[in-house]
Amino acid sequence: MAQDGKALFQSDCASCHNPIKQVTGPALKGVTARVPDQKLLHAWIRNNSAVLASGNKYFNDLYIQFGKTPMNTFPQLTDAEIDAILKYVETYPEPGGGGAKNPNEGPATQTLESDNSLLYGILTLILAVIMLVLLQVNSNLRKLSDDKSGVPSHDPIPFYRNKVYLTFLGLVLFVIGGYYIVQAAIGLGRQQNYQPEQPIFFSHKVHPGTNQISCLYCHGGAWDSKMAGVPSLNVCMNCHAAINDYKGEPLYRANGKEVDATGEIQKLYSYTGYDPKSGKYTEPGKQIEWVKIHNLPDHVYFNHSQHIRAGKVQCQTCHGSITEMNEVKQFSELSMGWCINCHRTTKVNFPDSAGNGNKFYSIYEKFHQNLSTGKMDSVTVENIGGTECQKCHY
Amino acid sequence: MNVVMRICKKIIPVCLSLAMLASCSDEPRRDTGRIYMPDMTYSRAYETYAVTPEERDALLKKGIHYSNIPVAGTMKRGAIFPFDIMQDAAGDTTNYVASKSVKNPLSGLDDATMTEANRLYLVNCGICHGTKLDGNGPLYRGGDGPFPAKPATLVGDVKYESMPEGQMYYSVTYGKNKMGSYASQLDTRQRWMVIAYIKAKQAAAHPAPASDSTGKKN
Repeated sequence: MAQDGKALFQSDCASCHNPIKQVTGPALKGVTARVPDQKLLHAWIRNNSAVLASGNKYFNDLYIQFGKTPMNTFPQLTDAEIDAILKYVETYPEPGGGGAKNPNEGPATQTLESDNSLLYGILTLILAVIMLVLLQVNSNLRKLSDDKSGVPSHDPIPFYRNKVYLTFLGLVLFVIGGYYIVQAAIGLGRQQNYQPEQPIFFSHKVHPGTNQISCLYCHGGAWDSKMAGVPSLNVCMNCHAAINDYKGEPLYRANGKEVDATGEIQKLYSYTGYDPKSGKYTEPGKQIEWVKIHNLPDHVYFNHSQHIRAGKVQCQTCHGSITEMNEVKQFSELSMGWCINCHRTTKVNFPDSAGNGNKFYSIYEKFHQNLSTGKMDSVTVENIGGTECQKCHY
Repeated sequence: MNVVMRICKKIIPVCLSLAMLASCSDEPRRDTGRIYMPDMTYSRAYETYAVTPEERDALLKKGIHYSNIPVAGTMKRGAIFPFDIMQDAAGDTTNYVASKSVKNPLSGLDDATMTEANRLYLVNCGICHGTKLDGNGPLYRGGDGPFPAKPATLVGDVKYESMPEGQMYYSVTYGKNKMGSYASQLDTRQRWMVIAYIKAKQAAAHPAPASDSTGKKN
């Protein structure tokens, strides 16, 4: 029976060893070259403590190098099985060989939908010029006909002093200027689409997207408290103590620049003071000053846990398709109108007679009566006080 | 007339610059823009996570005590008594072995607690150990995922099925091999809940684990 080296490796060795990466134990590829004595290697794999006790220098040095963490013993492995494991390890593809990048692949497909407003603007300008020319022609012709019929004509007024033109121009500028000024005034203090560059390029497309990490793994505060919170560095290092490179699809910043994702992981190590070679924290860590994107004014109260747990609102409702954002941007307006609008239209998950729904709302007896008598067909957040001033401002 | 001209001269550049700003929308927005009243927008109070150690020291000098870490040796009312086994020094396994004797203070979780434990497991553990507790979560994906070490097979490996709950608790609290400490993400009760959940799943998968001969040799 052919031995399945991969299966054996994964069941017996992979929790501490990786063929090409140092994990708890050393990277194993090349082990047959480092330990040419096949008998010794087999003996080590079956019962490492016996080899250590025999005083072998190479293995004793290795033992000290890896913090005297003893390796498990595998007395049950046969020679054929060990050879199969070693064959799998030695034929494991070198790093960088597998995930060859496709050079033809450009940056994230840019939407080539051209904006027509420029075209319309040019057309309007051309029409306006034609109109001006025609008006001039018209006045010249009138002057000519007046001259012919002997009507005394006064000096022509140049167009830049013509009151009609100036009033018209003033009006147009007032409307256009007014529009932009009003828009800019409304936009003051609003940060929709704000997408700052962060000290480390952390991709939400990779973490909760490709790797399916739950939002709450890092932002656990959203379940328990007002703040969703930014994870402390030890949470990053839960995985990144072992994951020290990036092998997925190439990543791009919002402005189309490609990112050296492995380099970004090294940045994390420089913040935590972690030395990936020795697997130890060699320097004191320092904080990463992430740039806050979603900011509510100080006079607004917002509570994450209330919305997620009682309201059962999904993260994406307010934060957009976060799993597709390499760089996070503010998806929602976070204006008061936006809050109120949602409170007016969102139906709360009222418990029905069968007991389905959120029992949090069972205290609203009047609404339950209205629902059962058919006076209301649903209860919105506004009905339960979601648009009262003091709910959010106090 | 001159007045009108002067106003026009002022308005035109403003309009042009506004129009230019509006047309730059394809670029990512890297600035926060202007705000009406900064002191009403950015909190002047010290918010959660907003205080750095340096700022805390500066506050202490002013006699303001701001600490986001509970005083050593204190515990919350109604909390489970903390685990009194310390972390081993590197290369030492004394406490790891000693943790075997610690019993799970929670036993026989009710349905609601089990649902919550299931949620905690899926959020914090399932990513590596798999939603089916098979040690093959999305970060490992049978060796194709980014995590280089094989996560423990919690259901289906005799080593973990026979591991005492206290030792599991030790590993969750202090980390083991390439697994980090989860003490910052799960509190004492939640850690015991997750372990009780794992034990319940192991028991459900093998009605009689003691007489199980199909499990892998360790």
